[in-house]
Amino acid sequence: MTRDLHSIVLNVNGDEVTVRVEARQTLAGMLRDQLGLTGTNLGCEHGVCGACTVLLGGRTARSCTLLAVQANGRSVTTVEGLAADGDPLHPVQQAFADHHALQCGFCTPGFLLTTIEYLDEEPEADPDSIRERLSANLCRCTGYHNIVAAVKDLLERRTGR
Amino acid sequence: MKQVGEALPRREDGRLLRGRARYMADLAFDDSLDAIVVRSPFARARILSIDASAALAADGVVAVLTADDLVGVEPALTRQFYSLTPAFIERHQVFLGPYREPVLARDRVSRMGEPVAFLIATDRRAAEDAAELVEVDYEPLDPIVDPLRAIAPGSDLVVSDVPGNIQASFHIIVGDPTSAVEAAERKVSGRFRIGRSVGSPIETRGAVGIPATGSEPLTVWSSTQIPHILRAYLAEFLRCPEEDLRVAAPDMGGSFGGGIYAEELLVAFAARLLGQPVRWLEDRRENLANARHSRDQIIDALLAYDTSGSFRALEMHIVQDCGSANLFGLTLPFNIASHARGQFAIDHFDVTGLCVLTNKTRNTPVRGAGRPEATFVLDRLVDMAATDLGIDPADLRHRNLIPAREMPRDMGMLYRDGAPMVYDSGDFPDQLRTALEAFDYWGKRRRQDEAAGSNLALGIGVSSHVEATGLGPHETARVEIDDSGTVVLTCGSNPHGQSHATTLAQVAGETLGIRYDRIETRFGDTGLLERGGGTFGSRSAVTAGAVVHGASVELRRRILDLASEMLECDPADLIIRDGYVSPRGVPGISVSFAELATGGAPLRAEDEFVPPTVTLGSGTHIASVAVDRETGVVNLTGYVVVDDCGTVLNPMVVDGQQHGGVAHGIGNALLEEAVYDEGGQLLSGTFIDYLLPTAADVPDIEIIHRPHPTPLNTLGVKGAGEGSTASAPGAIANAVVDALRPLRIEINELPITPQRLVELIRAAEAEQVEGLAGN
Repeated sequence: MTRDLHSIVLNVNGDEVTVRVEARQTLAGMLRDQLGLTGTNLGCEHGVCGACTVLLGGRTARSCTLLAVQANGRSVTTVEGLAADGDPLHPVQQAFADHHALQCGFCTPGFLLTTIEYLDEEPEADPDSIRERLSANLCRCTGYHNIVAAVKDLLERRTGR
Repeated sequence: MKQVGEALPRREDGRLLRGRARYMADLAFDDSLDAIVVRSPFARARILSIDASAALAADGVVAVLTADDLVGVEPALTRQFYSLTPAFIERHQVFLGPYREPVLARDRVSRMGEPVAFLIATDRRAAEDAAELVEVDYEPLDPIVDPLRAIAPGSDLVVSDVPGNIQASFHIIVGDPTSAVEAAERKVSGRFRIGRSVGSPIETRGAVGIPATGSEPLTVWSSTQIPHILRAYLAEFLRCPEEDLRVAAPDMGGSFGGGIYAEELLVAFAARLLGQPVRWLEDRRENLANARHSRDQIIDALLAYDTSGSFRALEMHIVQDCGSANLFGLTLPFNIASHARGQFAIDHFDVTGLCVLTNKTRNTPVRGAGRPEATFVLDRLVDMAATDLGIDPADLRHRNLIPAREMPRDMGMLYRDGAPMVYDSGDFPDQLRTALEAFDYWGKRRRQDEAAGSNLALGIGVSSHVEATGLGPHETARVEIDDSGTVVLTCGSNPHGQSHATTLAQVAGETLGIRYDRIETRFGDTGLLERGGGTFGSRSAVTAGAVVHGASVELRRRILDLASEMLECDPADLIIRDGYVSPRGVPGISVSFAELATGGAPLRAEDEFVPPTVTLGSGTHIASVAVDRETGVVNLTGYVVVDDCGTVLNPMVVDGQQHGGVAHGIGNALLEEAVYDEGGQLLSGTFIDYLLPTAADVPDIEIIHRPHPTPLNTLGVKGAGEGSTASAPGAIANAVVDALRPLRIEINELPITPQRLVELIRAAEAEQVEGLAGN
């Protein structure tokens, strides 16, 4: 087995970083083990549960089934990039807190980033589409009720409905 | 400041939302090694040889442990999780056979996924690469997969010292069921099957063993619900005193079912052996194959009643598929039995339960643990009886609910803890009336027929359940004021999403006169508290809540005593506000907690709560569904929960628990099934095959609290974490049957997958066509 290292340059949460990675290193593995960004959680490593969701070039991506080298030259946003320590929470984070949209918190980073993409792509979305859109991510604690409520609140605040 | 009962925001959220939680995989230890479990690919086989030489020679491999290497330790788990009293054993005709679960398999494997070797390497990838090089020579044997075959005469044995593959059994008789059944005018009966499901927290399991140093004992960090109990098991396994061990739980990404697992023991053994931290992290395939399998019963049941609709007797025979080892003894089938009569007055009752071994993964209690199964069976029987009598199920329910005036009601049997099973509190008829009204049940019933005609069939189903919560034997908490004046709350019960740091701090804060979010909380670490229970069986709000309250009351007394000396004032004339003690009406004069804490004597109170027995939570659910007759897909269109969990500590948190429980129940009702083939191979090994409910599968859920506080603890709290799982399957199954009522199908099996439902619809349609042709 080869353990050759590849040098990649990418923008993570606004900072340009250079990382040397094995070809088989996943994006999630690099973020967690090499950059110490452990807010990106691994739930299934099959690209199903969505806990490891990050934004890659502004679009959601499953960091467990992407290789780190595939992110070379791209920008990555993880949950740590949503609000700096000491700063107020990002509006999506705040809505999740206001609506008790998290319990154990393990799936939460993925839901936050999925929600951010959704609101970004469809600022005028029909609230009826929330559940379909959120079905990309799995949560075992909340029954989704309060996550849906948080996203609905965000949408309504945007559209003034 | 009033805090208990308020929907105060969670203190946990900031860290979790910012990605600053420390789950198992986030913990880092210097010089840590990574372990991987080499597992049996067969359900049943002899192990002829294990050759680890190639693996040992691979890059980065430090050790490969097999059963032969487990020297100086107990080779198997042999102590069952719960003990039973002699009186209980005699009263309910309990048979308990031996329990033995090897830590690493020796000579034979009894299930797919059984740990055979523990490979330790410098990092995870090296371990994974090398695991493939461990050569295990197996001689496969025919597995025993079907529990009914397992108990048939002449069956092979899963383990040699469990004859007939029946590891445990019981028989409960209340009243005179034989005569009551004979005398009853009408009966309905059926064979019900509840599919095997998997707890499936989004975080998989993990454990780290850290060798003892001069100041710290051998330590295990584990994503466990039961740190203190795990420590006891570790001490037995390692043959050392419990004081030589520390067990701690980090942040946990859900859990939904407790237990003791080989990997938690192996990391400790390996760390001690190698003198370095050893970490094991489970992947999802391992989790779905090995952790928290549950449900999986075949239940024959009969309800006897009169033409007036009055229930007379219930009979049940439960065959519990336990998998290859039965750590939890009678727990699951006995939970079914003790909750089988639900909210109804049924005086005559006969239940047998068999715990049957098969070559599958060990079965454990998962959220609900017997209540969803019991409730589903009873809900179905009641609806079948309503159809038989030609009356609405809601009416039939009303006629048979235990009236509030009969509370407390002795159920004529013992609970698992050995105490008489008594329904201590609740008002079931009010609960049903409230649910029917909130759902607009009668209005929807009237409109149901108008909506018919399309390919979608609309149905409504009702379910009601009880849940014995707050299981003992004990819980411990300490509340203290440290040198800086900070109130520190330490409790044996640890959270995995349940909001202990908020709700228990509300209890302590209200008692002590300080805001809950100024209290520091610590949970789940045997290094901080000598004794502790854990989090299971909807017990934490009850047992931890009560003990935190007890300790806080005592600390308050000490605070007031000390302050009365300093302020020269009678304690009865003192009040506490925001961490300052003042004479009533004289806010200008005060002494702070910090000043009191520097006074010399430690301001600390520790308490243990031993509940007299369980306390009864209950709930009524109504679901409406739209069933696609062509595809068999069931869509939930409405859902109402009326719940009684006694005193509500924080309604926002309790609602969240209810939402999650309902979703879990929806999964059990419609989607989730761990499927084994005839060779004992698990076919549902990933989240692509094992379907958890998504946001699109769950409807909006309306929750109404109708609390009836229990007299069994000072707060009046009853458990709320699991009950809502119990009613979803019955409510949904009844709604589906109702939707398809022209076809007169019966749903006796969970989950109600589209495939199963289409088969039922086609068979019923064929029968109707035949019937017409016959006319």
